[in-house]
Amino acid sequence: MPILHVQYDGQGQSPDGKTVKIPPAAALRQHGPVGIGQLFSDQLLQQGSQLPKPVSGNALIDTGASTTCIDDAVAKTMGIPVIDVVTMASASYASTQQNVYSIQMQIVGSPIRVEVPNATGASLQTQGIVALIGRDYLQHCTLHYNGITGQITLSI
Amino acid sequence: MPAMLEKERKFFDKNKAKLVAEHVGKFVLVKDSILIGVFNTIEEAISEGARRFGLQSFLVRQVNEAPTPEINIPALTLGILNANSTRPI
Repeated sequence: MPILHVQYDGQGQSPDGKTVKIPPAAALRQHGPVGIGQLFSDQLLQQGSQLPKPVSGNALIDTGASTTCIDDAVAKTMGIPVIDVVTMASASYASTQQNVYSIQMQIVGSPIRVEVPNATGASLQTQGIVALIGRDYLQHCTLHYNGITGQITLSI
Repeated sequence: MPAMLEKERKFFDKNKAKLVAEHVGKFVLVKDSILIGVFNTIEEAISEGARRFGLQSFLVRQVNEAPTPEINIPALTLGILNANSTRPI
């Protein structure tokens, strides 16, 4: 069942500085497969406690990432509890300790929610995304990346 | 960033040998310096943690002999999340 189908479109600048339309295939290659996502946690539903308010934002599908990441500032704002701390490698500086959160993710417009029990916190908002969808999420999905037409389809 | 779950992680490290001997492959739930329970799945451990502690943080970790592997997200590790080709498209 497809839960996300995106055909990319974009603009760029020609050598003389004019804004020109970029074909979908080129836009997809340049910007990557970014989908609109909604994050929320409902671990406390059964208690009748007030749930953290969901946060919507863009998420980046990253087949190179073994685990899904959530922006740490977003997780803190939502009040999601930390359930572990892991070490994250860095090429340019010492490895850092990052919080781990239990979250749910939902693609806006799709009723399907995917549980990510151990999403790693990371600084993502400066990149304009709230989450990075890794292979622990994608293991439940089929992802079609059509570079020729500039389309992606994520099915579950 | 201040280290979270310091007490819980210290407890886990201190008792790791015993936990490995008795519960390898299972998921432990730790709050402060107390082992709350041992579970077959991470989901069970988180649910119990949420039931007991609400929105407070607690440690859920799989018991393994090997140290917890370092997370490697190439796009973040290399700082290439929004890298664009310098070649014209």
